[in-house]
Amino acid sequence: MFENRTGGPGGLVSSRTQRRVRRVALYLTALIVTAFIVTPLYVMIIVSLQSPETLFSGGELTLFSTELSLSNFRTLVTETATPRYLLNSFIITAGVVLVSTVLAVVSGYGLARFSFRGKTTTARLILFSYMFSPIVLAIPLYIIFFNLGLLNSHLAAIFSISAIAAPFSIWLMWQYFQNIPVTYEESAWTSGATRWRTIRDVVLPLARPGYVSVAIFAFSVAWNDYTMVKIVLSEQALYPITLGSSLFLDQLNIGWGEQMAAAVVMSIPPFLVALFLQNYLLQGFNLGHE
Amino acid sequence: MGAVRERAPALVSGNSTRLLLLFALLPLGAFFTVLWFGPMFYTLVMSFFTDPLGSAQFTGFGNYLDVLTGDTFPFYLWNSVLFAVSTTVLSLVVGLGFSLVVNEQLRGRQGLRTLMIVPYLLPTVVVVFLWTLMLDQNLGLLNQALVEMGIISSPIAFFSTPGLAMPSVITASVWKWGSFAFFIILANLQAIPDAYYERAQVQGASPWQQFRDITFPNLRGAILLILLVRGIWMFNKFDIIWLTTRGGPINLTTTLPIRVYDLAIRSGAFGSATALSGIMFAILAVTGVLYFTVMEPEAEVKD
Repeated sequence: MFENRTGGPGGLVSSRTQRRVRRVALYLTALIVTAFIVTPLYVMIIVSLQSPETLFSGGELTLFSTELSLSNFRTLVTETATPRYLLNSFIITAGVVLVSTVLAVVSGYGLARFSFRGKTTTARLILFSYMFSPIVLAIPLYIIFFNLGLLNSHLAAIFSISAIAAPFSIWLMWQYFQNIPVTYEESAWTSGATRWRTIRDVVLPLARPGYVSVAIFAFSVAWNDYTMVKIVLSEQALYPITLGSSLFLDQLNIGWGEQMAAAVVMSIPPFLVALFLQNYLLQGFNLGHE
Repeated sequence: MGAVRERAPALVSGNSTRLLLLFALLPLGAFFTVLWFGPMFYTLVMSFFTDPLGSAQFTGFGNYLDVLTGDTFPFYLWNSVLFAVSTTVLSLVVGLGFSLVVNEQLRGRQGLRTLMIVPYLLPTVVVVFLWTLMLDQNLGLLNQALVEMGIISSPIAFFSTPGLAMPSVITASVWKWGSFAFFIILANLQAIPDAYYERAQVQGASPWQQFRDITFPNLRGAILLILLVRGIWMFNKFDIIWLTTRGGPINLTTTLPIRVYDLAIRSGAFGSATALSGIMFAILAVTGVLYFTVMEPEAEVKD
């Protein structure tokens, strides 16, 4: 089988050589991709940890240094609105996680457990809105919030980010409830539990991995969001860290050190999620896309 | 599925059940009405008026004609397609290559997997910070390396040089969103039974033959999904382009989302902005129909 197809004239490349080449190729790819991913991260951390004096000491960026300091982080706290931005980020993110998760659990349960006409259409609408353009949605939301006097409020930010986070959350929860056999609930009813108690004591505990995944997804959408808040918020005091720190790009008194320090601070919450909740996170990938 | 269907009648009988159904689906209906149907309907209505927020005057398809026949529309559409296709295809190549590596018996593969999550989770703003520094004209690592190797004589401002701005934005985007392809393909790779490969090895198939005849056919669905879904998302991307180039230089990275933002928020031309939104809506709807026809994602729904 293999003699007549591989390796040029007469199949000179033996299977063993092929395997060895493959091994080298594997490690080489691993090395290149790792370097591609790690280099920017390393630069971010090493730049954030040097004072301006050591950072530029040779006319170039100092990339290997033992004189590390937290001075950039200190500057961020004392001379910029970073603490305020972070607080806003936490408020907005908590709001989005709450709204999306509750909506996803309630609707997911309803969609999975009851038969009604138009279910396929509902599924398509949810999936279509999941693929839709945030900016196209943001423009009318901007006008509507303006007319309602809600523009420039955390509430506007929470609702508009939830608009883009909720469709996939609902879809995920719907799939999740479908996979929980209804027999658990039925045995609870037959032993006399009310519908509400069944939901509280049987359904919700079983659905826990599902809504943890949903909450993580909503968290990452909200923590990451720039587009929606950029449009519905214009008062700096309300900015989350993404929008607030993006102003640093144009501020001359904020150097690379402070910018990278802000980047590090912003990266800590998602990094902790990746570290401790990796499996929940990957479940989102697997449930939503197969 | 059969079990659920058989028991469904028992579930939908009774008043408390009907109440529960109402309670469960009312928020869903309210959510979509207020945050999706309302705004989209409003957009479509506005797109038929000139100056819809001021002295609104009905103009029929006037705004659409203006947008479609303007000199710039084909150019912005081309930029959008170029950005979406390049980032998606490159992400796929990186994701496929690397998931094949991580799927092997390699030392440290668990660490590599965790590492791949990081770029995907970092906020786009952080990714933009990192890449503006990496590609910075005065201090960027790439410029330093290229100058030292003698490839260029003086440092380049990547994000503001025509011809290099788009590739730079694409590179940063692949860095961030390549992991999406990686995780989906990895999950699908791990689902291929080992027995297939063992049988192929017994028959003397070379690694390349194994990839061509076993791995690739089993990944076809995942690859199609990535091309379609990731492609749509990249077509819609606003933040990374806006933050790195503002659509410049000379509009070379202005995609349709950037244009919508420019028209609406910067120029206040809501007539044209909503008409362009309407056009994007149509493009996405067509792609959506394609997605539903090819992938049938809603087939996972049980009645």
